[in-house]
Amino acid sequence: MSKNGTHFRPRAGELAPFLILGLMVLTLALLPAFTEYTVRTANVYNIFQNFSSYGLVALALGLTIIVGEFDLSVSSMYLLGGMVAVLTGAESPLLGIAAALGAAILVGVVQGGLIAGFRLNSMPVTLGGFLVVLGITYILGGGKSVLYENFDVGLRLDEPVAQIFSIRSLVALGIFAIAAVVLRYLRVGRDMRAIGGDRRAARVAGVRVDRLLIGVFVVSALGAALPGALLSYSLATASPTNIGFDVLTFSATAALIGGVSLSGGKGGPIGIAAGVLSLSMLQEILAILRSPDYVSSLITGGLLVVVTIVWAPHLLQWFRTTRVTTAVADERTPA
Amino acid sequence: MASALGRLGVESNSMRRYDVALGVWIAVLAGVTIYGAATTEGFLTVSNMKAIATAASFVGIIAVGLTVIILSGNLFSLALGQTAAVSAMFFLWALGIGLFPAIVLTLVLGLVIGAVQGFAVGAWGANPIIITIGAAGLLEGTAVWLSHGESIVPPPGETSWEHLAQPVLGLPAPVYVFLVVTVVLAVIMRRTRFGRQIYLLGENRAAARAAALPITLLTVGAFGIASLYTAGAGILIGATSANASLLLTGSYTYDAIAAALVGGNAVTGGRGSIARTAAGALFIAAISDMLLLRGYSTGGQILVRGIIVVVVVVLTNLRERSR
Repeated sequence: MSKNGTHFRPRAGELAPFLILGLMVLTLALLPAFTEYTVRTANVYNIFQNFSSYGLVALALGLTIIVGEFDLSVSSMYLLGGMVAVLTGAESPLLGIAAALGAAILVGVVQGGLIAGFRLNSMPVTLGGFLVVLGITYILGGGKSVLYENFDVGLRLDEPVAQIFSIRSLVALGIFAIAAVVLRYLRVGRDMRAIGGDRRAARVAGVRVDRLLIGVFVVSALGAALPGALLSYSLATASPTNIGFDVLTFSATAALIGGVSLSGGKGGPIGIAAGVLSLSMLQEILAILRSPDYVSSLITGGLLVVVTIVWAPHLLQWFRTTRVTTAVADERTPA
Repeated sequence: MASALGRLGVESNSMRRYDVALGVWIAVLAGVTIYGAATTEGFLTVSNMKAIATAASFVGIIAVGLTVIILSGNLFSLALGQTAAVSAMFFLWALGIGLFPAIVLTLVLGLVIGAVQGFAVGAWGANPIIITIGAAGLLEGTAVWLSHGESIVPPPGETSWEHLAQPVLGLPAPVYVFLVVTVVLAVIMRRTRFGRQIYLLGENRAAARAAALPITLLTVGAFGIASLYTAGAGILIGATSANASLLLTGSYTYDAIAAALVGGNAVTGGRGSIARTAAGALFIAAISDMLLLRGYSTGGQILVRGIIVVVVVVLTNLRERSR
């Protein structure tokens, strides 16, 4: 692409997530002025609960996009994480979490291994993976929802901490902080951006591309399984029902408004966190306004389309050529 | 089909290894299918063959349309299930103005839905997967908004649509529609300039750009056809179930993609054919039917489908690479 484009885009991309976040905060702050409603700490708590349910999936998906890949299987991995945790964690919830994470590592190694080993396009592979993981979730649950008898675990996980947090949201925030530090200060972060930006050059420069790719797909599966497991404990139930791409839509939108570029190599955990927080606030604002569910899917779907178009590689070029053509046409038109 | 086979024969030297692997896989699948067919009670009956053909026709119509997107090198659409459900809802609602106008309007709606997505992908280079995920969300939201979350039934007293679901010469009407639209699209893709340009676009985008092919128009066409076909399937699905809501979305998206991939179309575009996808749709319908008859759960069916998709994707990609 043109030099101008690459100079201009990162700046806009880096600022945009925080502008959107600011806009959401402003909306939330102005809400009492226009409605009867006063925003309470309970609303802030809810926002962080939304964050904990989907944030890590957005982080996981965002990391795969940064390395220039995509993981369609996160939405069924989310369900499998919950199912495995509920089935194996009856006695010890930690054991359930460990089992869910173990399953995730297995899925990640297989998918990442196929993609890196055979140099395959990650879309069809993870689509197949989506079906395989969904099928396993159905089989494990016997095709039905499974109840988690240990209700105390869910209550404990969601118990307010310092009024606005819970163990669940603190876990998510903590992992985001660790990811931000790792990607910023360790070599692996630079290597990831390198293989997302120009894989061949990265390989030549000595980056262990294959190992890193497998690692990213393992992290991606883990990032889907952990919140899935915690949410299942929290709801005291796990369901194999194909929830479609709801989780995927939320996390893809969050990652993209968080400044992750679909052409790879750009973005990071802090931007993704801003993206997730924006969407979580949006959900809460819609809940406060008592908007029906479809408004949320309209806004999320619309945002996703808009962000994708804004990030599209030929958008500027297209506007430039249309403007040039109209200008030429204007010149030709006799005055 | 003939030209595809010819191509295999000509270029077999450079890809013998993967042809062997693919051949072994096909042989294994064929063996399992034949064994299953012979040992599954009730599989080799006329009524079951009809059931398979009917099941294959809904997914098949969507899948052959989707194949144009795959061939054009734009991966696939994740909004097909929603497009089918919304089309079914719109069709049943529009029956109030008569059967023929309802069919035409539904097809136009489908075409427009796809063309808009294709424009964003073709003109601006937007990522097709993400655009279609967003479009799916928009379709769902709009459908719930306009239908108030209720399912749509045909206007009372209106029965003209029932023919669309009734058997003709022993086979349900959708089977004939599947056959006809597949042949039409196969001819378009092989014999027209549009079809050949789609193949070139998918095979080598840079060359297509250099040759000044109308990339935007071709992409709009590819997504438009996929969505038009999906709307057609939606009409038949709506007429068959006589009651339409977003629940009809079901697994059409993944099933259609699975059919196209299992048929052996290259995900990267440019290589494959409409006939392959139709074969893939029939194969998946046959396998699902067999698993159902043998008492496998929904989970087992999804799992088997997923495994077949992964293996075929690996083998087709390796084979394409070795060219």
